[in-house]
Amino acid sequence: MSTTAVGKQVRTVTPARSNIFAGRQGRKLREALLAYLFLFPAFLIIGLFGLFPLLFAAYQSTLVGLNRIVGRYDGLNNYVRAIDNLTYVLFFWLAALLVFMALRSIMQARRTAQEKQWAFWIWAPSGAIIGAGFILFVLFIFRALPAVLEVPQLMRARGGPQASFQQLLAQALAAPPIQQALWGALLFIVAGIALHWYIARRRSPRDRLHNATGVFTGAAVMLLSAAYLLWLTWTEIQRAYSEALEAGEGLDIWSQIITISAGFLLLFVAWQLWDSASHRQSNAGTALRLGAAAALLASAWFLIGELPRAIAAGDDTWWYGLLATLYYSMGTIPIQLGVALLLATLLFQDIWGKSVFRIIYFVPYIAPFVGTAAVFRIIFSSRPSAPVNAFLRSVGADPLAWLNEPAGIFQLMLGDALTLPAWAAGPSLALVVIIIYGTWSFVGFNTVIFLAGLGSIPRELYEAASIDGGGRWAQFRHITLPLLSPTIYFLTLYSVIGTFKAFNHIYVLRTAAALGTTDTASVVIFQTFKRDTRYGYASALAILLLLIILALTAVNNRLASKRVFYG
Amino acid sequence: MASQTTPLAPPTAGKASADDGRNGPRFDMGQILTYAVLLTGAVVAIVPFFYTVSVSLMNLTEATGGAWLPRAPQWGNYEQAWRDASFSLYFMNSVKITLITVIGELVFCTLAAYAFARMEFPGKAFLFALLLSTLMLPEAVTWVPNFITVSWLGRIGPIPWINNWPALTIPFMAGAFGIFLLRQFFQQIPNELWDSAQIDGAGHLRYLVRVMLPLSKAPVMTLALFAFIGSWNSLAWPILVTSTPDWRPISYGLLAFLDEAGAQFHLQMAGSIITIAPILIIYFFTQKQFIEGIATSGLKG
Repeated sequence: MSTTAVGKQVRTVTPARSNIFAGRQGRKLREALLAYLFLFPAFLIIGLFGLFPLLFAAYQSTLVGLNRIVGRYDGLNNYVRAIDNLTYVLFFWLAALLVFMALRSIMQARRTAQEKQWAFWIWAPSGAIIGAGFILFVLFIFRALPAVLEVPQLMRARGGPQASFQQLLAQALAAPPIQQALWGALLFIVAGIALHWYIARRRSPRDRLHNATGVFTGAAVMLLSAAYLLWLTWTEIQRAYSEALEAGEGLDIWSQIITISAGFLLLFVAWQLWDSASHRQSNAGTALRLGAAAALLASAWFLIGELPRAIAAGDDTWWYGLLATLYYSMGTIPIQLGVALLLATLLFQDIWGKSVFRIIYFVPYIAPFVGTAAVFRIIFSSRPSAPVNAFLRSVGADPLAWLNEPAGIFQLMLGDALTLPAWAAGPSLALVVIIIYGTWSFVGFNTVIFLAGLGSIPRELYEAASIDGGGRWAQFRHITLPLLSPTIYFLTLYSVIGTFKAFNHIYVLRTAAALGTTDTASVVIFQTFKRDTRYGYASALAILLLLIILALTAVNNRLASKRVFYG
Repeated sequence: MASQTTPLAPPTAGKASADDGRNGPRFDMGQILTYAVLLTGAVVAIVPFFYTVSVSLMNLTEATGGAWLPRAPQWGNYEQAWRDASFSLYFMNSVKITLITVIGELVFCTLAAYAFARMEFPGKAFLFALLLSTLMLPEAVTWVPNFITVSWLGRIGPIPWINNWPALTIPFMAGAFGIFLLRQFFQQIPNELWDSAQIDGAGHLRYLVRVMLPLSKAPVMTLALFAFIGSWNSLAWPILVTSTPDWRPISYGLLAFLDEAGAQFHLQMAGSIITIAPILIIYFFTQKQFIEGIATSGLKG
């Protein structure tokens, strides 16, 4: 915290000094060019392997074909295969969300501009034109990709040396639609920047500094993407209907979209009502709570009635993968964070061997997980002589199959008395072992972060509390927990995202005998890609996973903005 | 705020003596309970490793029979595992991959971090936000596109990328984490140094190499350590881009060996120890850097 303060102080000094220099513009230009040169290699790599993949995956997810890099265009069907008609609801609301975000960013910027009396709407045309240029550029990428990806095949067919590459690439890119998109994009971007520059020259330096072109560019990109998504969803729904008509079947996509949307809206309303109830007086609060309960019931009625039907034809492997991810997340995060908090609070005292403990706790996190997972494979092996089973035998229990056990733990507890449906059987015992492994290996990491968080709590608070006669528990409850809430929030978010991304140790610990019950979303995507070579479908699943992670982050942010105390 | 203790600093002595005065110096139930919990945690964290060492020294009957300790340590297991799994190949592969990645990452991340920390240019905030947004992207999204990109690059370029070092190293030569970590540190270096360097006629590049880098040994070390761990641990990507053992890194090599070795648990465990040991040795020598690097950056590599 103190470091950023120092950084700010230092930074305010520089501009004032460099303003005096006569050749200021030239210096600034040189510095900017050098900066871009410094950034170039890193951004080349990050752009190609970190940002571009998102576009590429979105493109790939609309293609179909086994082991084929450039498949046949298939619209949203990959998504429909995974989550059935929920696809249309999802894409419709995604578009709505983009529109909402675009409008909100404009409104927020406008409010600030009005307060500070900066020019605002004058920047709209240039921003919109640049935004359209970006969208055209994305269109260019989508149009150019299949042609560019074919180049190596052509090269091989020709059998020529490297020299033919440039020729073939130029040939591939010469197609009119690609050229139109490219030149259109360049034209729009250059025109937008020129317009911006033209307007900026005629405004005061203050307006120039606080120009809103960036805001409008972002909003234009979002609005145009939303329009494209709506068009795509609309045409895909039409296509689905016409296909169903040919097959002589009926479809109820529209009614499902409406019912499910109504269900989610009511859920949102219920949450808002409940939330506002907590700030009100008793009577109004009760009324609001009753309203919230009613909305919740109605939404549950809509969703429970319609959702299972809407996703019935989806991919069971994928849905089970998500359920397994949820189990893994729910199973490991609370224990992991609870144990880490306990260990960190205990360690954060005058304790002998403090640093030794810290080093030891961190070892499971740092050790290569293939190695440690191999150990867990042996410790939790299904052999009767394996350590855990040997222990069970010594206390008189039957040995268990552990990593080879596909049955859910609730089912195992019940025995043969009752057969539970798949969704109620709980995580399989094999998944529970993976949860144990995840907890074991991540507690140390969380402990270290908690220790850092505890270190930033001022000691005087504890001294004051103990003078006032606050016991250890009271101190923990009223000082440590609230002041540690940013750390807790960070770790929760980090762990949630981490568990949804988790792949490596789950992949090492999966066994054939567990019948895929341990396959979380990432593992399902990996298998779809590596084993089944369904590139398009794997991309669609990955995009769905990304959307889930984004949604979880957003929810977490909202909750945290209310609960977290940033002292 | 003024007297904030630095992270992980030991608590002040005043608090401890007050505690002692209230609770009595020695036979304090709370203290005993604290140590009991901490020791349990330590035992749970460390016992699997001892068990690994123990099994790795057993013979076949002991390993499959569920013994806890070997009667006579079989040091030959390590030799056999090393030979059977061709660990010398995987080991060297991992070392080479790690070296190439770390060198590339240090050069590229240092340059980019310097630009973000010390230079002014249009679009700085936007590019930085773009950079941080890559942290949100799950690895799963990048598998298919990057695999296609990498094989495409290999087919149009002079050397193949699949089953070769470029696919395993170049995509990891720059990352948001490394740039962020270094930028945070570069920003703390006082600007007076830059002013005096300018007076001495030094440009940005010379200032970065002669002044900034010598001052930034700690974060550069941390970054190198994370890159090392990351490439030693990587599994999903190597499985996708290596179909032959030629460039297979050690984690994937161990995984392949685990399946080959079948029920030879002693060899499996010897292989695990061979994989784990280098990391643990490095960790024990640099643990302070490691833990503080993680605690201050709050991110993993």
